[in-house]
Formats: sequence, C-alpha cells, structure tokens
Amino acid sequence: MLRTEIDGIKIDLDEKMSILEAAKKAKINIPTLCYEDGLSIYGGCRLCVVEVEGEELLKPACATEIKAGMKIKTHSKKVRELRKNLFELIIATHNIDCQLNCLTCSRASNCELKEIAEDIGVSKMRLEPIKRGDSVDNSSYAVIREPEKCISCNRCIRKCEEIQSIGIFTTANRGPETVVTTFKNRGLGNVECTNCGQCILSCPTGALHELYQKDIVLDILNDESKHVVVQTAPAVRIAISEPFSNQAGDIATGQLITALKRLGFDAVFDTNFTADLTIMEEGTELIERIKSGHRLPLFTSCSPGWIKFIEHFYPEYLDNLSSAKSPQQMFGALAKSYYAREKGIDPENIVVVSVMPCTAKKFEAKREEMAGDVDYVLTTRELASMIKSAGIDFLNLEKSEYDELLGVSSGAADIFGTTGGVMEAALRTAAEIITGTELKKIEFEKLRGLEGIKKAEIEIDGLKLKAAVANGLGNARKIMEMIKAGEEFDFIEFMACPGGCMGGGGQPISCDDNILEKRQKALYKIDKNKKLRKSHENPYIKKLYDSYLENPGSEIAHKLLHTKYKARKI
Amino acid sequence: MIQEKLYLKGDKLLDIYGYEFKAIKNALKLGRENTIKKVKESELKGRGGAGFPTGIKWEMAADIKAEQKFIVCNGDEGEPGTFKDRYLLEERPLKVLEGIMIAAYAVGADKAYIYIRGEYSKAIDVFLKTIEAARKEKILDDYFEGSDFKLELKLIRGAGAYVCGDETSLINSIEGKRGRSRIKPPYPIEKGLYNQPTVVNNVESLCCTAEILNPDSEEFSQLGIKGSRGTKLLCLSGDLNKPGLYEVEFASVTLKEIIYDLGGGLKEGENLRFVIPGGISTAIIKSENLDFPYSYQDFEKRGNSLGSGAVIAVSKKHDLLDLMLNVSRFYMDETCGTCFPCREGNRQINKILKSFKNDGKKIDAELVSDIGNTIRLAARCGLGQSSLNFIISVIENYQTDLEIGGKLYA
Repeated sequence: MLRTEIDGIKIDLDEKMSILEAAKKAKINIPTLCYEDGLSIYGGCRLCVVEVEGEELLKPACATEIKAGMKIKTHSKKVRELRKNLFELIIATHNIDCQLNCLTCSRASNCELKEIAEDIGVSKMRLEPIKRGDSVDNSSYAVIREPEKCISCNRCIRKCEEIQSIGIFTTANRGPETVVTTFKNRGLGNVECTNCGQCILSCPTGALHELYQKDIVLDILNDESKHVVVQTAPAVRIAISEPFSNQAGDIATGQLITALKRLGFDAVFDTNFTADLTIMEEGTELIERIKSGHRLPLFTSCSPGWIKFIEHFYPEYLDNLSSAKSPQQMFGALAKSYYAREKGIDPENIVVVSVMPCTAKKFEAKREEMAGDVDYVLTTRELASMIKSAGIDFLNLEKSEYDELLGVSSGAADIFGTTGGVMEAALRTAAEIITGTELKKIEFEKLRGLEGIKKAEIEIDGLKLKAAVANGLGNARKIMEMIKAGEEFDFIEFMACPGGCMGGGGQPISCDDNILEKRQKALYKIDKNKKLRKSHENPYIKKLYDSYLENPGSEIAHKLLHTKYKARKI
Repeated sequence: MIQEKLYLKGDKLLDIYGYEFKAIKNALKLGRENTIKKVKESELKGRGGAGFPTGIKWEMAADIKAEQKFIVCNGDEGEPGTFKDRYLLEERPLKVLEGIMIAAYAVGADKAYIYIRGEYSKAIDVFLKTIEAARKEKILDDYFEGSDFKLELKLIRGAGAYVCGDETSLINSIEGKRGRSRIKPPYPIEKGLYNQPTVVNNVESLCCTAEILNPDSEEFSQLGIKGSRGTKLLCLSGDLNKPGLYEVEFASVTLKEIIYDLGGGLKEGENLRFVIPGGISTAIIKSENLDFPYSYQDFEKRGNSLGSGAVIAVSKKHDLLDLMLNVSRFYMDETCGTCFPCREGNRQINKILKSFKNDGKKIDAELVSDIGNTIRLAARCGLGQSSLNFIISVIENYQTDLEIGGKLYA
C-alpha cells in the first residue's frame, strides 16, 4: 500500500498511479489541457504541474507517478501563480481577435479553455495575441481546420493515431513555428482522412470543426419552391438534448421532431426507416453469401468513416463489403423516387437534409457513386445550434411523431446508433427468415456493451454464424489483421467511431461523465419500449416492397439502394 | 603561469596500429563489477553539462536485466561556445572509441551508437574511418582479444537540432522520430533506445573513463578535490587573447586565472564585463566575482553550474541587449515546440526584448520574471529549464544599465 499526502489530505493507494489520478481520488481537480482520458500522456501543456515537497522544480501531475511518502501541493501559491502565467502564454497563441473570437467560435457554448481559465482563476492578460497568418484548411467535405486557433496540444494527433490508427496529423517545424498539420500540409481533404471527426471531439480550441451547412439549410427552408424533407439518424435523438441540458442519456425523439417542424421542414422522417430497409437488403445479402459461401465474411457498410478506411488501407477486401447503401443514402434515394411518386412532387423540387451524429456523412453525401441522394448533412451539433438560434425552447417542447411513409421504424433500427446494434438488428431478421420461426429471445447480449471488439458464435437452426463487432478504427484494423492472419468470420459489423454512431464525430462535445454508457442505455431503452422490434415486421417496409421495390435484392432495389466502392491510395 | 594537465589532450592518437587499448584491456582484466567500481570511485561526473555521476549511471544500467542494452555516445555538441567533443572526435578518436568499449563492457551492452553533430563533418569523417579500421582489426564486431566481449558500433549523423543533445531527444532522433524530449521516468537506463536499457554518455565523459581505467594514468582519479575529480576540458572563447581548448585539473585554478592566465587576458583596449562560465545555458558571472576555484561545488555554491566547460569572456564593448537578443533568438529557434512554457515563453521573451530595442518600450520586469519562472519551473526538459539563465542573470546584474525597473524572482 502506498501512503501519500495531497494538499494535507492523507490517502492510501492500492496501486501505482499518476499524481493526477490520485488527486482525483482525493476529490481534487487539477487543471489539464493536453491530457485526455484514453490517450497517451503528452506532458506538453504543463498546466497540471504540482509542487512535490523537497523538489524545487514542479512536476506534471499527469506524467508523474505517485510514490510512497510524497507530499504534494496541487494549489500552492507557487503553483497557482505559475498556472496563471502559463495560461497567458497559451492564450496568446490562440489568436483571439475581432474576426476570430469567442463569439464566432465553434466552441462558443462549451469552451474548454474558458473552463480552465475559470479553474485557474485567470484575472489578467498581458500578452498580445500572436498572428501566424495561417489560412483555413477547407479542403475537406467534412472537417475544417482553423490553424490560427490551434495551440498544438497534440490531442488530435494522438486521437487519430492511437484510437483510430490512422495518423493524418503530424507536428511540423520547431520552436514557435511548431504547428500541427497534415502530411506535407496537403489539407484534410487530400490525405487518408476518413472524416470520422473524432479529432473534433478531442480539440479543446475549436480549431477543428465540421464543414458547416446550417446556414445554407436555413436559407433553403425559406425557399417556398422547395419541398424540404429531413431525416434523423438513430443516435441523434439520444444526444440532441445535451447542449441544452448538459446531461447525457435523455431520449428526446418527440422534441426533436417538433423542433424540426418548427424550423420549417416540410416533412420530418426517420433514418431509422431506412435502417430497417438496410437490414432487409443486407440481411438478404448475408443469407445469400452464407448459402453460396462466397465473399465471406460480409462487412457492414453503413459507417462512411469505415468505408473510407477500408478503401485506403484494405482495398483488397472491398468485395467483402455489403453493397447496400447506408441508411442515409437509401433514404435520399427513396425520398426522391418513392416518396416523390406517392406525394406527386417533382423530385427536382425535393431537397433532402439529414441530421447525423457524423461528419463522414457529409463526405458520403458527396460521393460520386451516390451523388444527389442527399443534399445537405447537418451534425447533431449544427442542429442544436440552429434550434438555439431559432429561439426554440427545446427542453420544454411538446412531443410530436414522425411523418408516416418514411417515418415508422422498429427498435432494431434504433440500436443502429450503438456498436453491436446493426449486428443485432440483422440477426433478429436473418434468424427468423432462415428458420421461419419466431426468435424466443431477440436480445443478443454478447454483442452489447462498449468493448472495442466483440466476438460471438451465433447458432441459427444448426447453422453456426461467426460474428464480430468492432468500434473505433483502431479496432477495425485489428480485426482486419486477424482476417489477414487467417481467422475466419461470417459477418462483421464495423463502426468508425468508438461506441458506434452515438460516439460519432458530429455529436455534442462531452458535457457529462460516461456519455457513451448513458447514450447506449438510452438507445436500448427506446428499443425495449417499442412494440415493433424487428425490421422485417415494419409494416411500412412491407408496404414499400409491395408497392415499389418488389423484394429485397430486386433490380429496382439494386438500382436505388446499392452502391460500389473504390480503392484509394495511401 | 598555469600549467595544463594533459590527459584527454595527451598525444594525438589517430593510428589504430599504434594504439594499445590499455584501458579496455585493464577493464576486461578487472571484470565488470570492478570496472564500474573504479569509475564510481573516480567520482567522475557527466561532462555534457548535467554532471550526473557516470559510475552510478553504469551501475544502475548494469543491474537491469535485459536481452539487449545499448551504449550511446553523445557527440551532438550543441551548446554555444563548446568545442571540446569536436576536438576529441577529430584528434583523439581512439580514446573515444575505447571509452565507448569500456562503457559497453561494464554495463553488458553489445551494441553502441555514436551520435555526432551534423555540422561536424571532419569529426564524422575521422570517426567513420576509426570505426572502419577498428572493424578491420577485429576490435569491433568480433570478440575483443579473445575475451567474451564483442561490440558493434554505428555512427549516426545529427540533423541539426540543439535539443538532440538532450539524451532522450537524441534517442528519439536515432529512432527516426521527431527530436523532442521524452517524459522521465522511465529514464533511458530503464527504457531508452528502442525501449531497451540505454546508457547515454558524453564524449568527454567516456574519454575520462579511458583515463580512469588506463594503468598508465592511475593518478587521474586522484586529481582535483573530493567531488571534483580529474581534469576538465575548457573551451575558451570571446574577447580573449588566447582562445582555445585547454585541459585543467579541477580546483587547481580559479576562473580568474582561466581568463587572465590561460586565456591571455582581454584583447587590447577591452575590459571584461562578465564571463559566461559554461555555455549560454549558465548564468553570467561579473568580472569582479571570478576569483574562485574551478570546481563543481564552487559553482554550485554560487547557484551556478560549470555546464559544458564553454567559458566565454564578454567585454564591455558589447551591447547587453544585443547579447540577450542573440541568446533569446537561439533558444526561441531551438525549443522543440512540445511543451508550452518553453515554446511560448521563449517566443514572448524574444518579443519583449525586440520591442525594447526597436520601439524603446520599457521591459516589464515583472512579466519577464513571471515568464522566466514559468519556463524554469515547469518546462519539460533541461533545455527549457535553463533557457533563461543567461538573460535573467544579465537583467539581474545590469538592471540600471538596461533601465529596467521592478524585481526579479521575487
């Protein structure tokens, strides 16, 4: 046992840990900036420095292991003064000015730097902002970078390398010229960026944000000649209230629909509907491939970050991907064909907007293979900002229901929002189609939870199905390497973001602890409370096939709902 | 007249056939433990600037069990004013080689690297030839003289970053990574190059071990006084009549004698203002305060350090502000950019000094002091921690000359 003293509080520790972790146990908050849970220790910002008795130089709490007998002062005068000075130095490089300031910043409502300033008790700013004159990197359809705001804390670099196993960011130059940039400064749109947006969630400065389409969508909503329909992804409904309430895990489907209607959308639909449809198409594909034994394992294809990842890094496996479009793209294709026909609207006048937990969906909508299906993609964050700027009192809104035709969905579709959900939804349907009998238990517990990789062997009517689920691209890479090494699977669900879509790069930036657990719980709760819980039982899906698509995998279904992929360079 | 003590500077040694490798042979005879014991007893301290006891470093590394251990000879001599390692590499490469061999034998390493500053093209040429000759003569790559000791040695050319003189940055550089310090612990002796136990020693330190183990220079370890044993190479530069490289016995001369005797005093018509005693990361010493013995402890008593041995005499003809700007510019350019206090602090200090010079703005002494403290107390590595020693000491000593008000280091 390790006995130490932090700020006069005696604590006994059972295991080795950093001063930062030990302080947390003693209910002491030490300010941090370059530190992020789950990433390697960088030790660059030095804001977490503390005084260790007997040592003149201060020690970074994040990088210093606590030792028996250590006496630590986390908030002595020496430490507090130093943190203030240090913070002044940091802010000077954040370049706050008339154009680029806290009011126009993507993090205006939840600025991490502001929170730190408050924790430190910053009271004066003696240094002028430093102008580097860097131009904005707007080479990507999904993620924008404003280097002037960047303070080089390297969190984006570590997130991309360590969690996503990609590493599109790097540090260039040295001294004060040190900057974070992409390979050869090519810009995010010209490197192997998967557009997952995880870097945005890690950036404390607002230097990274999505390509905004909220203003253009607001303009289009004012255009009387357009029929603007909106779809909402499963993971949006369980996160949209966070920017208003600052707590995670609330289900706000009804308020979300009301808010969208108030914003002026002509029809409010659900991506869940096409998630159910995806299950029909992908499930059919799975059954066919299992029967024929060809192109196994089948890989899911609904996460556009994962798609770009495999196109760059494992193009030799593109045939394993399901050819089914993602739910977002299926929705766009149907809105401009089936819906247009049913409603008698000229498809030319239909504008499809989607609200996604995802930045990669912005890129997906622009892919030449599916161009025109979806016109604009908003992130959950963008929608929250639109709701705020329209003066809508979100938390107190009455609830509404989705419009019919493309708005009714099963619980299987809701769980698309979490890692393991697509797999579970597919199994609910595939098992019943294969066996022709009803499943006794539709929850596949082995596939639930937040582990990076889950494997399970599912038995359906004597057929053993080897399934795996990966979330986060680092884990996707691990599975791909397992396959390369000869491990056999039948069906694998891949999600680019940790936790799946609910942890997507377009989601509200963390305001609460354990957000992924809370969001996940909310999704399973929605599923559990629904009467309709299997995609193939959705009456509107049946109606769609009966009146338009004929059957899963039909010619017209292929034309509208399936796509191709392409190998990309690294 | 002060006499130099010639050990490291002894006879010029370039011909491998004429070199007897007496020290490594002696070490092999003594065995690992006794070799380390001898280095420990010699009280040898790292000559790169930090002054960590070499014997203790070796002992700790020897005690660690590992499949692979490495020795790295640090020849990335970057401290402005320092040119002793360059001299040793160019003129005494066999002694350097022998030092590397002794270290490797002592800690149980069979692979070593020598990292030489990229600008030292002659030193690199000479040392490459030395390695080549040693391979040919089966001094490297083969069991040495029928013993069970074998060493592979590789030369790495630095790419021009001051920070790579720091041992962990140097290790990153060898691995092909960005030159920036690593977080310690783990120290290199636990997890260094390619995560294996690694001893990084300065060129001069390794040459000293070759003296310590050489039966012909047994007295080397007895030179000087307790705590400061052996000799030190001094790199004299600045406004002196006789700049150059000198070897002195510790505590046998004063800093004053070094300037006025060895260095031949100031050039005609010039008066000494201060001395930079150990490279620009050390604090200045005013001309009237030089009369103290040259030893580790005498510097320590004055809150200073003998650093790398670069003694720079600065006469009154220089503009203090120009000097500060020069040094500030150096540190600003050379911070690796990783930790905020060093990167941003040095940038701001440079900005403040510039605006003082160009726009006649007063220096806010409190601000300079705040930034200085922040860098010194919170920077990630030695570069940052010592980067303002020169500037702060100039300001402290010459406040009125610079028209600076306020208090420093309150």
